[in-house]
Amino acid sequence: MVSTEEYGTARRGASERPADPAAADAIVVEDVGRTFAVRRGRAAGEVTALSGVSLRVARGEVHGLLGPNGAGKTTLCRILTTTLEPTTGSARVLGLDVTRQSRAVRRSIGLVFGGDRGLYGRLSARENLWFWCAMYGLRRSALRARTELLLDRVGLLDRADARVDTFSRGMKQRLHLARGLVGDPRVLILDEPTMGMDPVAALDFRALVAELRAEGRTVLLTTHDMAEAAAVCDRVSLIDRGRLLMTEDTDAVGRLLSGYERVVAHGVSAGLARRVGALTGVVAVRHEADRLEAETERPSATARVLGVLAAAGVHQVSTARPDLAEVYLHLVGRRGMGVT
Amino acid sequence: MYPTAFHLVRYGFLNAVADFKATYTWRSWSFGWLGRMLAQVLFFTGLGRVLDQPGAVRYLALGNALMTCVVDTMAVVATTSGERRAGTLSLLVASPADLMWVFAGRSLHWPLSGFATASAALFGLGPLFGVTWSAAQVAPVLLLIALTALGTYCVGLFLAVLVLNAPRLRNVVSNCAYLAMMAFCGVQVPVEFWPRGVGAAVQAVPLTHTLRALRAVSDGRPAAEVFGPVGAAVLTAGCWLLAAGVTLRWLVAVPARRAGTLDLSY
Repeated sequence: MVSTEEYGTARRGASERPADPAAADAIVVEDVGRTFAVRRGRAAGEVTALSGVSLRVARGEVHGLLGPNGAGKTTLCRILTTTLEPTTGSARVLGLDVTRQSRAVRRSIGLVFGGDRGLYGRLSARENLWFWCAMYGLRRSALRARTELLLDRVGLLDRADARVDTFSRGMKQRLHLARGLVGDPRVLILDEPTMGMDPVAALDFRALVAELRAEGRTVLLTTHDMAEAAAVCDRVSLIDRGRLLMTEDTDAVGRLLSGYERVVAHGVSAGLARRVGALTGVVAVRHEADRLEAETERPSATARVLGVLAAAGVHQVSTARPDLAEVYLHLVGRRGMGVT
Repeated sequence: MYPTAFHLVRYGFLNAVADFKATYTWRSWSFGWLGRMLAQVLFFTGLGRVLDQPGAVRYLALGNALMTCVVDTMAVVATTSGERRAGTLSLLVASPADLMWVFAGRSLHWPLSGFATASAALFGLGPLFGVTWSAAQVAPVLLLIALTALGTYCVGLFLAVLVLNAPRLRNVVSNCAYLAMMAFCGVQVPVEFWPRGVGAAVQAVPLTHTLRALRAVSDGRPAAEVFGPVGAAVLTAGCWLLAAGVTLRWLVAVPARRAGTLDLSY
């Protein structure tokens, strides 16, 4: 029987080639674009989900892909997991082309997505993992040993024989992660893994991601949860409307807009707030009651604001750098999580 | 290491059995499912008595008893389609497993259930309608039931692959296929009853041949009249399996990846 997995222009041998251990970056995305044909009534059109996205994720890195709903995060995940072909550009995982060497890519990656689906609910956790281990070529004793190891690791050994549809959301998510690890992948793609989790379960999940990093696995994590990205990622990429806005260290993203330092002062009159707003380098001012919040685009502007406030006798003043959430909002605008 | 076809079918089957056990108990299968199917055989065979034609009852009893296994095997269409609803389809696609063998294993409990159903109908209900079997006939009959179940399972796999991207059609397609086989393959009336084109078309269905072989065994006809249809059934079943594999690869998987219809479902 022919493999359903191979297609494209590659020779068959190329698709069987193992992952390249010498590949410097675990994930390389070069100028990837993806459009979808849509039909509105009788009219046919096209929607651009990704446009000219380039990204490199180093081996052993936990990389966050941040963006609102509809930004293109899942589309990129689908391309990297070989379930979707890019319209333009190319992507490689561990040196393997996702289009031409798709089967070898699949052997090298683990995929975990959030939510209740993706598990066989009438089966037990153990039976689910047996099945998925088999899908990745494990047999007999190796299959059973790996299943027990993973169940233990995600804390489900005590409930291993319970039907999965009796599990809580957090337990299902832990089983999802175990399922994603059955093939012992060097690259894990976690697509909104904590979606719908309660805070305690989400914290547990972050601890597991930290363990994966410690083992040297590469993780691409998509989320729209800033706290999650800040907590577990080495670097983050911000994506919006199918375009990659920036890729930076998690801390550097904050520093990037440190020019947008925020000055908060109390006891500020409306007139003084207007004067502050008129200063060069002040990009935004909010004034409510006697509270002033001014955002500046460079440190010198911050100094000017502080000088004006001090001269006016305002002493309740503080400055702060924006957190990741604020950076994110600066870059994608204040659309919140709305779908574009 | 990549999983082999045998490995995928085996573990797919183990998964299917676990799924089946979670769905049925022996009581609910025996008194629910089997009871329903035996009632169907009784109903259609009972109509034969009304016809008052010599041999009609026997003809209908054999046809409808063997047909019961097809109801089971057509369930592969819904089960395969269920992978999409469960959100496991995209995970299977993203795994190194060959999807065709996974599908073949994941629903293999249905031909087993069909084998048991049709065996109960032929050996349990048959005598009520004058269909009796000698000891020497039991093994060939069981083999023919197994061949019917596996052959129509291959037809079902092909249909399952066809509706993979149109899951809303799963029940329509499986029911239409089942009814078409019941009408045209010699279950209720001989194939020759229908126009020649229909008669030619149903030669592609394994059931047509296994039913012919079953009637030959039942009538005690020479072995050649059994082996010929058996060979045709094996050949057509193989063709359906091959068609399912080719269709899955070239008409479903590749276009779906290009069109983006294999969602990472949440």
